[in-house]
Amino acid sequence: MDSLTLLQFVYIKLISFIRVGIIVSTMGCSSVNAAEIVVNSTVPSKQYTLADIRAVFMMRQRFWPNGEQIKVFTLSDSDLLHKDFVKNNLNMFPHQLRRIWDRMLFSGTGAIPVQLDSEQEMIDKIANTPYAIGYLNNRPDNEKIRLFEYQ
Amino acid sequence: MKKYACLNINNGILLLGLFCVSGIAQANIVPDEIEFHGFLTQGFFHSSDNNIFGQSDDGITPGLTEIGLNGSYQPIDQLRFSAQGLYRRNGDVDRGSVSLDYGLADLTLLNYESSRVGIRAGRIKTPYGLYNETRDVSFTHPTILLPQGIYFDRSRSLLISSDGGSLYAEQRTRYGDFSLKFNVGVPSGNSNEIRSSILGSEAKGEFQAQPAFAAQLNYEINGGEYVFAVSYVDLELEYRSVAGETFLNGNAHVQPLVFSAQYNGEKFSLTGEYDYRWNNFSDFGAAFPDFKSITESWYVQGGYQILPQLQANVRYDVLYNDMNDRGGRRITELGVPNHIAYANDWMFGLRWDLATSWMLRAEYHRVHGTAWLPQADNPDRNSTVQDWDLYGLQLSFRF
Repeated sequence: MDSLTLLQFVYIKLISFIRVGIIVSTMGCSSVNAAEIVVNSTVPSKQYTLADIRAVFMMRQRFWPNGEQIKVFTLSDSDLLHKDFVKNNLNMFPHQLRRIWDRMLFSGTGAIPVQLDSEQEMIDKIANTPYAIGYLNNRPDNEKIRLFEYQ
Repeated sequence: MKKYACLNINNGILLLGLFCVSGIAQANIVPDEIEFHGFLTQGFFHSSDNNIFGQSDDGITPGLTEIGLNGSYQPIDQLRFSAQGLYRRNGDVDRGSVSLDYGLADLTLLNYESSRVGIRAGRIKTPYGLYNETRDVSFTHPTILLPQGIYFDRSRSLLISSDGGSLYAEQRTRYGDFSLKFNVGVPSGNSNEIRSSILGSEAKGEFQAQPAFAAQLNYEINGGEYVFAVSYVDLELEYRSVAGETFLNGNAHVQPLVFSAQYNGEKFSLTGEYDYRWNNFSDFGAAFPDFKSITESWYVQGGYQILPQLQANVRYDVLYNDMNDRGGRRITELGVPNHIAYANDWMFGLRWDLATSWMLRAEYHRVHGTAWLPQADNPDRNSTVQDWDLYGLQLSFRF
């Protein structure tokens, strides 16, 4: 039983230490706050993918499958909900979206999302704008707003 | 005598107008189909030797001001109009002028689930490298001075925008997003700085830009986490000499080919670009014998987000005006110092995003060589110094 040398002992302890570290850190990361992506009830239902939803918020996919123009709403870059949404729903970083939007905005080659000031304004806009998409902290309690399903 | 007033009356009026429009844009007075955005930048520079953006040597020059205002209008789904006005002041190169930066109609011809093809007509920004299309918008690049080897400020007017048309195509795939632009048009600016950088300060005639061709292929992985681009521009200038000068009606042909790569991580970013530029000058007469050269420039730039609002940047930028005369031995025959042939620039910078619409930046450059120094700010090349320091401070606002 003495075949366990000091070096092996240290090695095993080190591995278990790293494992615990990884578990703890992923627990930290898994307490993520994904936002709820919401759309106006006029938006056609379809099997949307993460790639679709990313393209919509990057303003590269401009139309819904029925040919209607997508109206994209966001909050400010510094808003916590916006950060959660970009990181945990889109799996991107806010500065990536900002880079893409600014390039279009200041070269005249594309439109950027309409930036709103608060979540309440987001609820109002999504409810009252046909073909609108945005995001909220919680499931909306409004018949004109629908959760956006995607895979 | 002070050469520049920091904020003269004209600037004040522009400033006031900008804030008014910013207020109107935010107050939802304009209908949804029309949008306004804008920016304002003021830069300050000091250098140990040599001048840039005005009298920076042994002083502080507020010589860089950029104010932009853009609007767009979409009457129908497939058609969009957009325009941007730009006020810019750049030392002795440009003492302040208002111009139409771009003004175009954008028509989507084909629109599929994962692709799009369209055309643009009017005044269109020239796609060149990663930053050229938005080079005057400080928020869109990490440092005050863009790497000067590739993004010359002195010959900027040739690459800013052109009057003509553009065909573009975008394709999204599971491996990333591709986009392609083909532009043909007459470069919208002509500047004395180009004349003096090619023929020297003696020349009195005028360069006229011929229709130019610009193309860019862009490939982005994972929403721009990785960006790759190849850009090519074909520029031709015809010189119209004036009576009594030694130069004839010559021709300058410049063709830059730029390869770009960028990584945008959560905190760390890395950018590199390489420019290989063919220059061909002919028919200027005995005072300026025909010659061909190849200009080479590249840079590597790293950025790190120290705090959520604070980013540090480091860059090394290299430029050789003539690959066959890197040390400038031959150029001394023209009576200019050899260090006009090259420039190696170490840059250290900090970017502080005070709020989403305000940004403050500071940077330090240690430069070896004078290849990208503007002629207008440094009329006597023999009094320029090979090794010099440059300090910059910049405040920007956007809406």
